[in-house]
Amino acid sequence: MTATVVVADDDPDIRTLVSLSVVKAGLAILASVGDGALALAAIREHRPDLAILDVSMPEMTGLEICRAVRLDASLDDLRILLLSASVDENTQAVGLAAGADYFLAKPFSPRDLVVWLSVGKEAR
Amino acid sequence: MNRFVNRVTDRFMADLDRPSSAVKQSATALAVVFAAVLSLAVPGLGYSDPVLGISGLGIVGVATVVSLVFTRFQNLERYAMLIPVIDLIGLGAFRAGTGGAESLFSSLIILPVVWLAAASGRRYIVVAGVGTSIALMFPYIVSLTLPSTSGEWLRGFFAPMIFAAAAAIVNEMARQSRKQLSEIKAMAEDKERMLQRTVEYAAQLEESEANYRAYDRLFRGVWAAVTEQSVIGTDATGLIDAWNPGATKILGPTADEAEDKLHIFDFHVPHELEDRARELNYPPGETVLNPGFSALVESARLGRAESREWNYVRADGSLVPVQLSVTKRVDEAGATIGYLFVASDVTQAREVARLKDEFVGLISHELRTPLSSILGYLELMRDDEENPLSAEHMMYLSVAERNAHRLLRLVGDLLFTAQVESGRFPLDARDMPLEPIVTAAIESARPVADAAGIILEQLLPESPAHVHGDPLRLGQAVDNLISNAIKFTPRGGTVTLSLQTSGEDAVITVRDTGMGIAASELDKLFSRFFRATTATRNAVPGVGLGLTITKAIVLAHKGSMSVESEEGIGTQFKMTLPLAPVAAAV
Repeated sequence: MTATVVVADDDPDIRTLVSLSVVKAGLAILASVGDGALALAAIREHRPDLAILDVSMPEMTGLEICRAVRLDASLDDLRILLLSASVDENTQAVGLAAGADYFLAKPFSPRDLVVWLSVGKEAR
Repeated sequence: MNRFVNRVTDRFMADLDRPSSAVKQSATALAVVFAAVLSLAVPGLGYSDPVLGISGLGIVGVATVVSLVFTRFQNLERYAMLIPVIDLIGLGAFRAGTGGAESLFSSLIILPVVWLAAASGRRYIVVAGVGTSIALMFPYIVSLTLPSTSGEWLRGFFAPMIFAAAAAIVNEMARQSRKQLSEIKAMAEDKERMLQRTVEYAAQLEESEANYRAYDRLFRGVWAAVTEQSVIGTDATGLIDAWNPGATKILGPTADEAEDKLHIFDFHVPHELEDRARELNYPPGETVLNPGFSALVESARLGRAESREWNYVRADGSLVPVQLSVTKRVDEAGATIGYLFVASDVTQAREVARLKDEFVGLISHELRTPLSSILGYLELMRDDEENPLSAEHMMYLSVAERNAHRLLRLVGDLLFTAQVESGRFPLDARDMPLEPIVTAAIESARPVADAAGIILEQLLPESPAHVHGDPLRLGQAVDNLISNAIKFTPRGGTVTLSLQTSGEDAVITVRDTGMGIAASELDKLFSRFFRATTATRNAVPGVGLGLTITKAIVLAHKGSMSVESEEGIGTQFKMTLPLAPVAAAV
């Protein structure tokens, strides 16, 4: 069964870039949205295996989504990859503390993301 | 008033104590003239011996002339006592010529005797006695006979003795009078001196009071003018005794509400004082009762001016961040009598710093987001196997990628510099070997060096060099130095990277055979955005952040940086880092 993904980033170009990598890695995109509230709604609706979330988004930040998800026992199986262009050294630690499983700093290499997603898919 | 008394006293002294010889002689002269006239005019008087009588008048006349001469020539005055002696001889002769023992004029003798007696010195009592004796015995002296009766003998001794006794009394009275006068005069002089001193002192007092008033006005003016800084004075226990308008503006209470009622520590956050006291290991200070206050003034108490950030608590309970300087107040003997607290409100400064941080963070974030897209899509293009690019297009793509990376590095450098400036400098330090850093730096620089036709050399130590540091940051520092060296070295040159240990330190040296740096620019080399003229002249790209960052990294590792350079010969940067303790390094 193909692993499923919800992608959320307020920058449409980055969203497309991530989506392309997801498709290249052979995963299925269930939703691709531009703000935090829509992202959480999509996660609750589609119950994907992986959510790729930008940290700074309108309506709800990636961190707020992480916290909301971790309070919801029915979403225990969801893995979260946080993306951030933040330069604050603490962002990664804060993200992981909020409940994210992985962290990727922007700018990132789509090639590396594809490899990581492929490996992850097999591991799961 | 006093001057008047003095003048009168002087005059009195002059007239009484120092009448001129002529004045003294005038009494005798007048009396003799009167006697001469009387003896001619009154029948029955006349001269018993006209020669002696006239001679006596002549001698008194001579004495009068001498007295006038002595009065005219002051330096002869010391012989003035000759005059009464001559008078005595003259009067003796006059008495002898007007009847001898029966003469009406024997009493005239008293006049020169008084003169002699009043003179200063007891010897004049004797002179007066002997003189009187000579005058009374004159008839016998002139006739060279001896008195025939015992009564006549006695006259020659008894009367002079009475005269001498009277002279003694006069002499003593004159002496006493002189003494009293001199005492009065001395007292008057003392009084005069004291009065003079009092007048001078009063003038000085007036002057210093005027000075004091001027200083007081100046001080009050300055005190009232300081409206943006809070200036608070306390005694040694922290009780407020001075409160300026700035303190009212920043903290709320007026001077009347604060002075002698509140303590300085009422305006501090208790746990901040407690933390500081713990930091200083609870200094005893002047009062052990309040360790927070003791901590607050500890540096000032030890005579060091201290300035640090605190939070003041306003009257309404809100906090205001201040930069506070504490100094001690001392009395004239140098003993501490209290403290002065001068504080500036740094709310705005803090806000500006926060905004700057926020701005830099935002800018970096906003710049990195589009760069993420640029770099990501360029990579997609490069990796697109279905539509492979031509070699030419691949070359264009490389240029675009290289410049996008350069922009990304610049954004990182800017951010890093801002972090260094604001004192927030994250270091992920651990015990680490330096060799891999050096090797990695050489390897990553090799493609660029090869392309630029520059030889890269590497010298490593025999024993491993471990330091306590952040490998990422140290790598960045070494990379900066090597990429600089390559940029500034012409084709065919050499860049040498060496790692050595020297005593307690590890030393990384990057030496090039490049264009060098002018000696006048060496000290500015590490400042932000500074670019050497050799760099701008030769159009070497860069913005002037690399060395600033490198130095900041080295300093954060408790190391030091130095540079030596000669234009046209080359440059050598030396980075010294303290070695990690041996036990940890093994």
